[in-house]
Amino acid sequence: MNIFFQQVLNGLTLGSVYSLVALGLTLVYGILHIPNFAHGAFYMVGAYISFYLAGSFGLNFWLAMLCSAAAVAVLAMLSERLIFHPLRNAPALHDMIAAIGLLLFLEAVVQAIWGADFHRLPAPYTQILRFADLTAPAQRILIIVAAFILMIGLQIFLRRTTTGSTIVAMAQNREGAALVGIDPVKVSLLTFAISGALAAVAATLFAPINLIFPAMGHLVILKAFVIIILGGMGSIPGAIVGGMIIGFAEAFGAFYISPAYKDIIAFALLVIILSLRPQGLFPSEVR
Amino acid sequence: MLQLEDVKLNYGSFRALDGINLSVREGELVVMLGANGAGKSSMFLAISGLRKLSGGKVRLAGTDITRASPNTIVSRGLVQCPEGRKLFASMSVERNLMLGGYVHRADKAGLKTRLEEIYEMFPILREKRDDHAGSLSGGQQQMVAIGRALMGRPKLLLLDEPSLGLAPLVVRQVLDTIKSINAGGTTVLLAEQNAYAALQIADRGYVMESGRVVLEGSREELLNNETVRRAYIGG
Ligand SMILES: Nc1ncnc2c1ncn2[C@@H]1O[C@H](COP(=O)(O)OP(=O)(O)OP(=O)(O)O)[C@@H](O)[C@H]1O
Ligand SMILES: [Mg+2]
Repeated sequence: MNIFFQQVLNGLTLGSVYSLVALGLTLVYGILHIPNFAHGAFYMVGAYISFYLAGSFGLNFWLAMLCSAAAVAVLAMLSERLIFHPLRNAPALHDMIAAIGLLLFLEAVVQAIWGADFHRLPAPYTQILRFADLTAPAQRILIIVAAFILMIGLQIFLRRTTTGSTIVAMAQNREGAALVGIDPVKVSLLTFAISGALAAVAATLFAPINLIFPAMGHLVILKAFVIIILGGMGSIPGAIVGGMIIGFAEAFGAFYISPAYKDIIAFALLVIILSLRPQGLFPSEVR
Repeated sequence: MLQLEDVKLNYGSFRALDGINLSVREGELVVMLGANGAGKSSMFLAISGLRKLSGGKVRLAGTDITRASPNTIVSRGLVQCPEGRKLFASMSVERNLMLGGYVHRADKAGLKTRLEEIYEMFPILREKRDDHAGSLSGGQQQMVAIGRALMGRPKLLLLDEPSLGLAPLVVRQVLDTIKSINAGGTTVLLAEQNAYAALQIADRGYVMESGRVVLEGSREELLNNETVRRAYIGG
């Protein structure tokens, strides 16, 4: 029973992290209409900033996460302003190449500052929680709870507030949004900021049970792509459900099949689901 | 209220608008007739700032808005209900309407009152307020589109083929609604292919062909014009 529960916990943990990353990716997709490869670098930079603030300044975990989210939000807005905005009338391929360029650039910068070694963020909570005969490491519970709170908060922001619904409006109908007077420049900046902050939070939450290194964003961003393809490009519920599916598939696959296949499972699942449902799980009008 | 002076618009090497001159005075209901591809929508999108002009000037209440951004133009009181409606399909009807009042978002009470007025005008929308806009029938979606534009409290309302794809009975209703919006003090510029029905409610009209204005006149003049009758009314 406890072994099964551990896998559920692992699945939820991975799923939470993947969902947060995929949410940011899917929001920006709604605005740019290209997958933002640099999102993986935002994730990586977020982990490094938290690591640096917690390590060198002894900042408390939550404070480090908050600062990192703010810093990566600014970084994301800068990249929108300086890179993607000037390319808004160029073919989509240019945006994609620019995004890859940004990814490589940020990795090079991080490597120049912190080197190529692995780092680890000390876990803020090392206790093991017990419920009857079930055990759960506090850090995992924290990841799951924090991610769910964020997702609910994001959902409320997007569905219930005027500012939030401008993001959804622009993703659903760009010209319609312009015709009611929504400023696309503001909306893009806001979307990038949210997306960057989500990536930084996901990376920071995950860092205490994971390694920090310059290429750490690659696998995560690839999986996030799988998730938003599965969930339907631009779909918010799709990103959450897709993230959970991949998280669970990985956790159970690693345990019941082999840990060596853990990373292949996500991609195998993509092929299987897309051959059964080429439109993804949530076709995009369900955003 | 609105003046276009020698407005030109190119799509690559194709000239969609070739020197349009027209004016709409305050309180008027002006109809823009023209066949498929004449350039009506291109002109409307250019007026709203969604297409970059290759030449000419657009003036709104004396102010040059040629290079203004779409959101500036909306806040100055020029609101468009576009061809194809461009609704936020998976948002509720009410969210669509509320976003129509986006430029007045600070005035919460005003928006509520306005929303009530829209629901009075289109009672069916009150019933369907929580439904996805995309799930409504064509006629109802058109009401949402018109309602959304009205939420922007336009001084000048541009309506691009609001009757497109609607059943004849619904076309009548939509045009009657437009007439009453105009009677309520909103200036209207209406693009239509449905010339006879549109001219019934219009004060004046223009006829457009391949990017040029080829005819203009009062309702009576156009209704009795041989070319208009032949080309658009079939009489
Ligand atoms: N984005 C575009 N790129 C290239 N050509 C375009 C574009 N939009 C419209 N056109 C062309 O410009 C011309 C005018 O089109 P427009 O849509 O303005 O006509 P319209 O009078 O609104 O027609 P309809 O009655 O069918 O709505 C057409 O020949 C059309 O093919
Ligand atoms: Mg048209």
